[in-house]
Amino acid sequence: MNTGTVRDSVLGLSARPSPIAVVPALLLVALSLWEVCAAHRDAASVPGDAAWHAAAERVRAGFRTGDLIVFAPDWIDPVGRMHLGDLIPLEVAARMDAARFGRIWELAIRGARSPDTAGLEPVATEDRDGVVVRRYERAPAIVVADVVDRLATATTSGARPTLELAEVGFAPHRCLQASPAPGTPLRIAFPQLVLGRTLVGYVGIADVFTRREVRSPVRLDVELGGKIISSTQAGVDDGWVQFAATTAPGSADVVFILRAADANRRICFAAEARQ
Amino acid sequence: MTEAAGPAPLAEAQRPAGGHDSSPVPRRAVRRLIGWTLAALTAIAVMINQRDVGIARDEVVYVQSGARYARWWIGLVTFEHGITEASITQTFGGPNATDNNREHPPLLKTLFGLSSYLLHTKLGVTDEVTASRLPSALLHGAAVLLVYCMVVELWGLAQAILAGLLLALLPRAMFHAGLACFDAPTMTLWLATVYAYWQAARARDGRRWPWRVGVAWGLALATKHTALLLPFALGAHHLITAWRAWRTTMDPARPTGVLAALRAMIGYRWRLIVSLVVLGPLTLYVVWPWLWFDPVRHVRDWLVFHASHVHYNYEYLGHNWNAPRFPWHVALVTTLFTVPAATLVAAIAGAGAWLAAWRRGVRATGAPVLLLALSAAASIGPFFFGTTPIFGAEKHWMPVLPTICIAAATGAVWAAHAAAGYASALIASRRARPAPALTPAPRLSAAAALVGGCVVLASVAELAAAEPYALTWYSALAGGAPGGADLGMNRQFWGIAARGVLPQLSAAAPAGKTYVYTHDASPAWGLYQRLGRVPAALIDAGWEQGGIERSQLAFVIHERHFNRHDYLIWKSYGTVQPIYVLRTAGVPIVSVYRRPR
Repeated sequence: MNTGTVRDSVLGLSARPSPIAVVPALLLVALSLWEVCAAHRDAASVPGDAAWHAAAERVRAGFRTGDLIVFAPDWIDPVGRMHLGDLIPLEVAARMDAARFGRIWELAIRGARSPDTAGLEPVATEDRDGVVVRRYERAPAIVVADVVDRLATATTSGARPTLELAEVGFAPHRCLQASPAPGTPLRIAFPQLVLGRTLVGYVGIADVFTRREVRSPVRLDVELGGKIISSTQAGVDDGWVQFAATTAPGSADVVFILRAADANRRICFAAEARQ
Repeated sequence: MTEAAGPAPLAEAQRPAGGHDSSPVPRRAVRRLIGWTLAALTAIAVMINQRDVGIARDEVVYVQSGARYARWWIGLVTFEHGITEASITQTFGGPNATDNNREHPPLLKTLFGLSSYLLHTKLGVTDEVTASRLPSALLHGAAVLLVYCMVVELWGLAQAILAGLLLALLPRAMFHAGLACFDAPTMTLWLATVYAYWQAARARDGRRWPWRVGVAWGLALATKHTALLLPFALGAHHLITAWRAWRTTMDPARPTGVLAALRAMIGYRWRLIVSLVVLGPLTLYVVWPWLWFDPVRHVRDWLVFHASHVHYNYEYLGHNWNAPRFPWHVALVTTLFTVPAATLVAAIAGAGAWLAAWRRGVRATGAPVLLLALSAAASIGPFFFGTTPIFGAEKHWMPVLPTICIAAATGAVWAAHAAAGYASALIASRRARPAPALTPAPRLSAAAALVGGCVVLASVAELAAAEPYALTWYSALAGGAPGGADLGMNRQFWGIAARGVLPQLSAAAPAGKTYVYTHDASPAWGLYQRLGRVPAALIDAGWEQGGIERSQLAFVIHERHFNRHDYLIWKSYGTVQPIYVLRTAGVPIVSVYRRPR
């Protein structure tokens, strides 16, 4: 123990003068000054309402019915909807996915991109004071049948599903929701569903609180002509899980089979038959 | 507290590693005045800041419970009633786990109630929310004073002032200190226990401080259950220092073996152990009438409630967490993003200086650095296990903050002195003189003021960016509030931001009675109305779908797991378009909807 000559490291450094001794202080001063500037800059780094208004005007000038408007990053979505929400119908906001939209307007800040425009190249880009407006055009998926719209034609082996605008994976989805009895498959059949070349759908567990209380996954099988063509498991943290299967164009009985190990699992699904 | 500032700064030989005081030692009265001034300014700053902070959901429960507790105590001391199981149960307990908020000990709630009774009901000098928040603010001032007192004795005035300022200016800490809640007060009482323990551990007079350790810990326990972690720090410190003392005072005639060592450990400052074991629980018992009847069952109920607490939803790095296992790094990353970067880096420098000096064999009486490190570890350590609830995040490990700020202060002054030492040597060499053995004090003071001032300035800038929505704020290291949103860090909790849309709701409401879906601010609605922030004609529509269907106006307080409320409103109102979005630093925190006519 060195109690008689206690000298801290400061004195040690000062006794052997070296430019290195100045580095910690300079670093602290530089970092502090950077933080002063960064704190101010960060707080002002998100475009305000004037920029959003200008960007919204640009979208309105070119908007056509059936266009999709998306915002990025997702946390700015409320601001985007405040400025352009009148152009976003409920069923578009709660879409299954973006494949059926041929024109997409993306309003983005901070260099973000929406997952709905992944892999697409914009045909037009304009920066309105930090809100970047991009327009994408592509050949949309041709939907020949949407099971969500055909609920009335469905028959079930148990409780009837309901059409919901539900939270699945913290996002809105218009879907068919049902809760099968534990261990008992719930068969939801769509007789003579018009089919294209693919059947694309999504499944997930609705309601964050039920996902918290019960942690077991759910399963959805798709049966076509008595044969399982797709089998998907969705866990509590999986969100909106895609499934797809190749189909032969025409009409056929399609059955969605829902399974849950626990009671009150709100299984939500949607599917489209596409050309 | 008075005595805490009393002893003169330690002699050089007694000081721990990592810094030395360059400043001329002011008179004891002046030192004391500086500490109390810092404390007073902190409490005032907290009270000014809280004026724009909305009412927290839990705060409503604590204020209401506190009012009942205070009435009971006032009735008891004025002989309006005696001590009966029925009156205690009616006020402090009940058959269910959350009756009369019996799942939380009563100390702070009682203080909230007494403060409200005195300042609001009797004197009418302020509203009930402000009055209820005052004890928490005063205790935050006390935390700054404790830090100051400890550091001024250990390292010196410059470090003490800096440590106090850095603690006072922490944005999240100031935010929590402005609420009638337990988190900031717990930090203070935890720190008070550590301070008393340190005084006891280094005191020559073995009787003066130990009893205060138990009482302070008892008060901490009577504030929040997280104080149960503190004995792990104190126990480890006791064992290490006792073992060190036993080893260094080797007497050839001393009995050896495990039993002898054990006896030596227990016998080493035994009053501390007795104080913690006896006075701590006794203090808790005395201030919590609910324990006066059937104490074992009630203590068990209290602990079981928290051991099996539901995991609230909490967003961290883009994922909504509501069940273990949680990432091991939640506490680390959250602390990195909620303590100003300059403070953190200074703390790393301080810790480095402490470590370097320790390696050179520097030891201080009472091992204060070890104590501070163990205190921090006990506070934050459980959150690395992956099973401890992470909701609320940094507020649950606030006792780590004094250690960080003390380390930052010593680190900043250490860095400043190192630079000043080099500058002195450089100047001397230019003048062709031998380098001074010691750097002149004014030069050291100026360097400390410059470097420390810059670190403080960074905290001021972060504080200005953070308030009054500090739960949405993240430091420049994360990119501020927008950077936090990009990273998927938790946006907020407790519905506090609702305060910011009350004027818009009033303006948007049609004439006459209007039902409002008040979401997470529903528990606070009555208080907002009593404070005059919401017109009486705006009526809370009720919970969930029923409330939404009844409402003409609605708002959603944005948290990831609250997105579902947006969708419920869209469905009912037939629109996805809010009429107003409250933002802080551009990040949405509340959306207001109006039902289309």
